Amino acid sequence: MKPISIGVVDYGMGNHASVTHSLRSLGMRVRVSDQPEVLAAADALLLPGVGAFPAAMQELHARGLVNYLQDQARAQRPIIGICLGMELLASASWEIKHTVGLDLIPGEFVPFAGGAWHIGWNTLEIATQDPLLQPSDGQAFYFNHSVYFVGPEQAQAALTRHPAAFASIIRRGTVIGMQFHPEKSQQAGRQLLSNVIAGLVHA
Amino acid sequence: MLKKRLLGVVTVLNGWAVQSFGYKRYLPLGRPEPLVENLDRWGADEILVQVIDRSRSGLGPDFALLERLARLGLSTPLIYAGGVRTVDDGVQVVQRGADRVSVDGLFQDDLGVVADLGQRLGTQAVIASLPVSTGPHGLELFDYRTRQRRPLAGDLVDALTGGIVSEAMLIDWIHEGSPNAFSEQMLDLFPVKTVALIAFGGISTPEQMASLFARPKVDAVAIGNFLTYREHAIQHFRRGVASAAVRPASYASEYSLIRDV
Repeated sequence: MKPISIGVVDYGMGNHASVTHSLRSLGMRVRVSDQPEVLAAADALLLPGVGAFPAAMQELHARGLVNYLQDQARAQRPIIGICLGMELLASASWEIKHTVGLDLIPGEFVPFAGGAWHIGWNTLEIATQDPLLQPSDGQAFYFNHSVYFVGPEQAQAALTRHPAAFASIIRRGTVIGMQFHPEKSQQAGRQLLSNVIAGLVHA
Repeated sequence: MLKKRLLGVVTVLNGWAVQSFGYKRYLPLGRPEPLVENLDRWGADEILVQVIDRSRSGLGPDFALLERLARLGLSTPLIYAGGVRTVDDGVQVVQRGADRVSVDGLFQDDLGVVADLGQRLGTQAVIASLPVSTGPHGLELFDYRTRQRRPLAGDLVDALTGGIVSEAMLIDWIHEGSPNAFSEQMLDLFPVKTVALIAFGGISTPEQMASLFARPKVDAVAIGNFLTYREHAIQHFRRGVASAAVRPASYASEYSLIRDV
């Protein structure tokens, strides 16, 4: 079978090296680029993330990638967002200041009460019967963020508690966001990343 | 429930991983890559690689080391410390495979750059390393470059209180490398009550770790020298702590010679 190819969207801020090595270790082909013609060849697009929301959106605009990503979502191309990459999928974020996002999944990100952070390993409660996600129910993943998703319940595919429940995976059609870092969540992360990508690409 | 973390620390001096004792004596261990690979295999919650000669010599971050580590394909979060002088340094450190950046000299030299780093990377990606000891008027911060101490007070405390970083790594530098020697008194004297703490320096037993984890502000414990004496050291500590507060010991292997039946 032909290996799955992933286009890692380069917006100048992500942890490309980590994500790329993780995907390659799963047998996938990876291209990192900010050029739509290069990304066009991939089976799925992946937005990695370590960084702040306003700076990331600024970079996406500067590289002309906002309209491109919105068009790809409309065309039902699989798009996976990780951590900051997930936040970018939403309508907006209040991290540092209010900033409009890609608006692929309705909702916005707001800071935890008291400006707290959620850093470390925490468990997923899968909230749907989605076969891509069910095997990861109850497993622990690595989180590192300061904002959480507020949006429609039907978009919230998994929950995590800190101490109140928040959406740790959001999904709308072929667009899926993970608030944690599957590429840095050891065996549980590799399994989830593999299931999600294969499931979206082969749907 | 968010778990408390066990960090594995690899200290690098002149390109070699070393055991460090009290910030003044170093014993070589070998290349850093196999040690980092071990911590990844053993399931550390985060791995901190601190390159302790980069700031002192003005060399900037060790990008070549980061690239070698990235090629290992680590599946454990990586924190990098050493030589970060600018926002661009921090961004490049992340682009080369680190998930978080820890600053020590920069925190003491230029809080403005640390704040800008948080604006760019998100404060969740920024940690302050604070080598401290107790003095006549509270905690004293140690500058390892000049070997001078000064009170941990004033603008440094204001910056920590204001959330300039997401976590502070409180290092008992005097007892670093000494078994069971971390001074919990430093946690009581730490003047900022709002920032989460990583305890490091002289932590060698599960009992010590359990005691530290019982403190609400301690989110993580970092271990360096004491991980190098046995195989699967992380799991040994996890079993010893035996608390729901930490992830349980696990021994996953991608390379098992014998299949489960």
